[in-house]
Amino acid sequence: MSNNRYGASIDVPAWREQPRPATGAELMAQNAYRPWPARITSIKELTAHEKLFEFRLIDDRLRDAFHHEPGQFVEVSVFGVGEVPISITSSPTKQGFIELCIRRTGAVTEVLHEMQCGDIVGLRGPFGRGFPVDKMRGNDILVVAGGLGIAPVRSLINYIHDERADFGKVTIVYGSRTPSDIMFRDQFEMWRHRRDFDLHLTVDHPDDDWDGAVGVVTEPMKTLDINPRNTYGAVCGPPVMYRFVVAQMRRMGISYDRIYMSFERHMKCGMGKCGHCQIGHQYVCIDGPVFNYWEAKNIQGSI
Amino acid sequence: MNATLIASECEARTQPRVVVAGLASCFGCQLQITNAEAHLLEVLGQIDLRYWQLVSSEPLPDEYDVAVIEGAVTTDEAVRTVRELRAKAKAVIAIGACAVTGGVPGMAAAGFDDRVAGTFAGAVPSACGTMRAPKPVSDYIDVDFTVRCCPIDSYDFIRVLQSALYGSNHIEADRTMCGDCKRRENECFYKQGTLCLGLVTRAACGARCVNLGRPCNGCAGLSPDANLEAARATCTAAGVDPNRFDEALQMFNQAALIAAADAARKEAE
Amino acid sequence: MLYRVIDAQELPALVRAFMESYEVVAPVKRGSGYVFRAVDDPADIALSYTMTDSSVKKYLLPPDEPLMRFDARTNLVEDFHEEVTPRVLFGLHACDINAINRLDLVFRDGAYPDPYYCARREATLVVGISCMPGDHCFCQLWGSDEVQFGYDLFFQDIGGKYLVSISSVTAANILESACNPREATDEDRIEFRHATRRRQAAFNPDIPRIEDVSMLMDAFHKDPFWDELGGRCLSCTACSAVCPTCYCFDITDELDPDGAHGVRKRVWDSCTNPSFATVAGGHNFRPTGRERVRHRMYHKLNGFMATHDRMLCVGCGRCVDACKANINPIEVLKFFEKKGLEDVE
Repeated sequence: MSNNRYGASIDVPAWREQPRPATGAELMAQNAYRPWPARITSIKELTAHEKLFEFRLIDDRLRDAFHHEPGQFVEVSVFGVGEVPISITSSPTKQGFIELCIRRTGAVTEVLHEMQCGDIVGLRGPFGRGFPVDKMRGNDILVVAGGLGIAPVRSLINYIHDERADFGKVTIVYGSRTPSDIMFRDQFEMWRHRRDFDLHLTVDHPDDDWDGAVGVVTEPMKTLDINPRNTYGAVCGPPVMYRFVVAQMRRMGISYDRIYMSFERHMKCGMGKCGHCQIGHQYVCIDGPVFNYWEAKNIQGSI
Repeated sequence: MNATLIASECEARTQPRVVVAGLASCFGCQLQITNAEAHLLEVLGQIDLRYWQLVSSEPLPDEYDVAVIEGAVTTDEAVRTVRELRAKAKAVIAIGACAVTGGVPGMAAAGFDDRVAGTFAGAVPSACGTMRAPKPVSDYIDVDFTVRCCPIDSYDFIRVLQSALYGSNHIEADRTMCGDCKRRENECFYKQGTLCLGLVTRAACGARCVNLGRPCNGCAGLSPDANLEAARATCTAAGVDPNRFDEALQMFNQAALIAAADAARKEAE
Repeated sequence: MLYRVIDAQELPALVRAFMESYEVVAPVKRGSGYVFRAVDDPADIALSYTMTDSSVKKYLLPPDEPLMRFDARTNLVEDFHEEVTPRVLFGLHACDINAINRLDLVFRDGAYPDPYYCARREATLVVGISCMPGDHCFCQLWGSDEVQFGYDLFFQDIGGKYLVSISSVTAANILESACNPREATDEDRIEFRHATRRRQAAFNPDIPRIEDVSMLMDAFHKDPFWDELGGRCLSCTACSAVCPTCYCFDITDELDPDGAHGVRKRVWDSCTNPSFATVAGGHNFRPTGRERVRHRMYHKLNGFMATHDRMLCVGCGRCVDACKANINPIEVLKFFEKKGLEDVE
């Protein structure tokens, strides 16, 4: 409490006074707008436009308190330039760091792409509702991603990879514009040789070396033999992709509420307030970004 | 264009090299830069100012990172200058209404060639250069950043210059100005039946003129979402002759209006 | 709820008592209308106003608010901004208090209470007053002509006297100290009933009363009506600037002239702002006036209802005055009425 010039005592905002060392969760809850310093600990070039960053929160209380679900996102700050929402691409089974796959597409990501290991950014989150891994457990999984849409579902795929015995058949369909746009090539190489991952890569525009499928992601989907009653779908990609992929999943017999998709919007606050990510009556940042098809059908303007 | 990283790229060398060039204008916007007196040295400390037309008679240097351009393009010589600036600079900033919309020089754009012929009867003084209809800089080259209004706001300039140096995800407002008036709780001129161009003008100034009791004259330029038809209907409903609205727009938006009319004509054909 | 009666002449004394410890914000006459301003003299307050041009939301959610200062070189937060002025929002109509209650639902509740909003809200007393509707008022359609909570005091004008609902200890103490509150008599209670009925009878009968508005917003979501309505939008965002419940904002960094330090701010934004739904790379999810105007109306008349069980419109009618293209909920109600008549024919 303090007195102001009017003489009235007021409650000062909670971040002002810290009577005792707070836990990580308490620190984050004091002011969820506050980005916390995180260090870049690894940078891998994925394509000409995308890099994979590994970040570690510097304060160990925050690092311990940070738990995410596949499909959730964080807000990354470069002070002076701005803040961007980026989905977490590492699995929650890996603690102590997070990986973000960042495309160079705006002012903030452009600066991030110039950063080096050891540089510090601001990080807050995780935000949103991810893929329902507990519901998905024990079922077959059909993942369909296009372009940068691989980033959030990679978190799910890696989670399944680490908890492989808990899941049934796993099928991954990934479409890119060109072979050189394919992200996580190493990982796809690895999955390709594993029997417990059924991998289908396709590109829009092949080059001379490409010996894989050509065309949109719905083409390889047509050849799949899945059991719709125990399959969950996970979809993420560019806006135009959703309608065709979910239609194909419906044709395959997967129920509305077993098809999950992650939406891209500009989540500025991450807390269901600023309004930028609204679709119909929902906020992608708190109600999503992952919705099932039934929910999405009930949101005006979703697909 | 990779303007946002100019600062880091230049760190190794020294500081980003900046040039300020003036075309057809009153030079008032260059003067406005100096009006940030209290902070001018702080700003100059972040750059290597290689050339400033307002204070120098030297020719443009050969190398620079950021080109700041004031004024409208009104001659063949100016076209060559802006193309050279674009070719050499990593980022181009257009400042002031003249550079951004054609501004006051742009008023002469309609029927320009006929008027030149009528006035000079073929004997154009050589000091005029090879004249052409005044146009905004962006009609000839890609412009990365703009500082709007007549004149510019000194601090707006600093902010935009910093965006060019360090990057910023702040995007230029494309909404029109009435909302800013409401935020400031200004009284609306249309309630008194007075013409005001805020209806279609980009919200770039925080309704500065209206805050001072004067209607908007549109110096920030038309918003890309300007709804001229709806604005004319607003005028009519408020007892303002829509023709006066169209006329008033010519002061700062002649070039855009001509371009829109040309586009409409082409589409009709 | 505790009720007392005071004489109308006692009000200035109450305002002065508030002024001892609070900034008092109240409606004052300005040009052809009214605005909420900080006042120094109770005589400046124009309590008989119909509607102010803008609402009091700026005192809880400022149009341009610093969140934190940062060091751009180290990428670290340096300091937090706090500017909390204990304040009395005096002379609010029921619609505006209902509007604050809706802002509270967004900023005070849920998983993420907003520390900036909460600090201001905690330091704010709300004093309401009964009113008579103007031509553009339609609060009664959404039940916002009465308010059950969210205020410290509420004054019902019962002719030279006020029936005061007292809901906070702080306000009760100040009322006790400054005025001479007494028990209400049967006469007071009867006059209160009359006053309420006079208000209810005074609403503009030309504004159609439509049932199931939320349902209709869904049913007519693809109607060409939205092309027509949105097609005349000026994209100025005046609607949300004056709206007492519009709370959308942008977060933006501003460097100091030295380039080394700066401030992260939030500023009012609006879903009718053309680039509002644009994502990185440039795709705009609501590229035309049709989609933007429809989205705004949808959130007001359906979306908030779906998530919070009440309209995000309180029927204050400010947008009716502010929008020069005549886009407002009344137009939507008239459209639904027309559709209803077409069906009958």
